[in-house]
Amino acid sequence: MTLMKSLPTQKLERWKYTNLPARLKKFEREIATAEITFDGLNDLIMPYTNDNPDWVNEITSRSPAGEAQYKDMALWTAANDAPQDGYIIDVPVNYQTGKPLTMIMTGGNAEQVSPRFIIRLARGAELTLIEHQTGEGAYWNNAVMQIEIGDGAIFNHYRFQDNSHDAVMTVNTHAQIARNGQYNAFTLTTGASMSRNQIHADLKGEGAACYLNGVNLLDGKRLGDTTITVEHQAPHCESRQDYRSVVGDQATGVFQGKVHVHQIAQQTDGYQLSNSLLLSQQATMNTKPELEIYADDVKCSHGTTSGMLDKDALFYLQARGIPKAQARALLIQAFISEVTEQITHDDIREQATAIIEKWLTAL
Amino acid sequence: MIKIENLKAEIDGTEILKGLDLTINNGEVHAVMGPNGAGKSTLSYVLAGRDGYEVTAGSAELDGENILEMEAEERAAAGLFLAFQYPVEIPGVQMTTFLKTALNAVRQARGEEELDAIGLLKLMKSTCKNLGISDEMMKRAVNVGFSGGEKKRNEVLQMAMLEPKFAVLDETDSGLDIDALRIVADGVNALRAKERSFLVITHYQRLLDYIKPDYVHVLADGKIIKSGGPELAHELEEKGYAEILSTYEKEAA
Ligand SMILES: Nc1ncnc2c1ncn2[C@@H]1O[C@H](COP(=O)(O)OP(=O)(O)OP(=O)(O)O)[C@@H](O)[C@H]1O
Ligand SMILES: [Mg+2]
Repeated sequence: MTLMKSLPTQKLERWKYTNLPARLKKFEREIATAEITFDGLNDLIMPYTNDNPDWVNEITSRSPAGEAQYKDMALWTAANDAPQDGYIIDVPVNYQTGKPLTMIMTGGNAEQVSPRFIIRLARGAELTLIEHQTGEGAYWNNAVMQIEIGDGAIFNHYRFQDNSHDAVMTVNTHAQIARNGQYNAFTLTTGASMSRNQIHADLKGEGAACYLNGVNLLDGKRLGDTTITVEHQAPHCESRQDYRSVVGDQATGVFQGKVHVHQIAQQTDGYQLSNSLLLSQQATMNTKPELEIYADDVKCSHGTTSGMLDKDALFYLQARGIPKAQARALLIQAFISEVTEQITHDDIREQATAIIEKWLTAL
Repeated sequence: MIKIENLKAEIDGTEILKGLDLTINNGEVHAVMGPNGAGKSTLSYVLAGRDGYEVTAGSAELDGENILEMEAEERAAAGLFLAFQYPVEIPGVQMTTFLKTALNAVRQARGEEELDAIGLLKLMKSTCKNLGISDEMMKRAVNVGFSGGEKKRNEVLQMAMLEPKFAVLDETDSGLDIDALRIVADGVNALRAKERSFLVITHYQRLLDYIKPDYVHVLADGKIIKSGGPELAHELEEKGYAEILSTYEKEAA
């Protein structure tokens, strides 16, 4: 309820392309508990309750993700209003397993949920999390995920957002990465009437890295917003943002990516690319890259392109007997593959491909 | 059999084909020659169904079916094949995927059984071998980074795999070295068959030494202005188009 009052509006710089209150006005809902299930690696998981370990309280008490940056604290702190919703994933020192952890979050009609996730990878640990978001009806899921990646730890994080097309999904991710730690994130968005994926990554220790990739597939009147801030707070860190958006019908895509290189962060390697494919004249893509650099010895670049399907390529495929819809799908897949091919886990890449194909078939 | 009658077509309001007639019977090879800008590629695109051309009159029938009403993919399924003058590069789409998708789409439309991965691989390998194309190229994206000659061979590869009834080869000889010209011509000749016909667009008599045409036509000013036997190509090679064009202009006036 407090949440509804303090929603971020388009007056805020970081929210200028995305009208959250308008999307939420379209349906009634009640505060509920999120339906979340896990598959595998149960020993790492515990529920988030009123009575959490001190280290968890320490993380939750930290001001999440730069108040000054987003000015949308309501979303980041919403989970405080629902203190018994969410999970803690605690990965011990040097933990290694070949198995990924799968989490399924299912939304139900007229629900408003604010689950919180606290994920800690201790020194040298490695974890792969596959997060499936799905559901039916009109719901709002405002999830907060705080991730702490220890020295030399690696967190591979796959997010498949196949939410109901009537749902609103806001995800607030804050990752803090220590020395030589790595955060590898891939987000595939095929659902939700509106989705906002905020990722705030702090590269805190020397040699820390984050690779943030994503594919946003938008149709109908849907809106898909990816807003990223990477804070280079230590020397010799690397960050990559590589996103593809396919925007059809009257849909809107938003990509805002900011790289902030602090004065101390010499030898930063920062890279950002956001390419989009517009499938119709009414489709819109808003892209805002931002580089803010205070160190002098850095390598930073950003790029963005936006275009339509290549008509000559389409005709060439059709002239070989490939029906138009299938030819379009092939070209769209080719466009996306630049990012999906970077998924190193074969079976996870296949999962992604299957979701993409499902979206293309319905297009 | 392909039967084109009084075909007129425009691009952006400019008439390029101005009443073209051409009939090619099954088993025949016809060559079309003509000056740059005469409308040869336009003819091939109009037949293949590329967007942007407006057919204002006439018809084109493949075995009695008017193909001008069909989508490009339906024409391919009906048995039409165009070897492009400028094959298109498609980054991100692997040759193997492309060939498999195309072949199975066409097979499905023709009511034939689809090929499985092994069947496709076999067919691809043997066809590649015949045309001197390395298997490694099949792992690359369609036409991306292919040399000019490789692109042309790739067109013939696709033709061989799709087994059309009627194939238009638009300057498939340009950009080929002497050996490649021979290989490509052999590839085309191997496909010559009783029930298949070809329209070979070229600027050079040399190709016609290898692919022997039954008829040679001169396309100029959007029409076939002269037709003859293979000797017409030799005549053109010697004298150029000047004489034929001036005779045509006089007759037209
Ligand atoms: N979009 C267009 N708008 C106007 N005119 C066009 C357009 N595209 C092609 N043309 C013209 O149509 C005419 C026929 O072109 P076409 O490509 O069919 O010639 P061609 O006989 O194949 O020539 P070449 O031997 O050089 O390949 C040319 O004069 C060309 O400039
Ligand atoms: Mg031409």
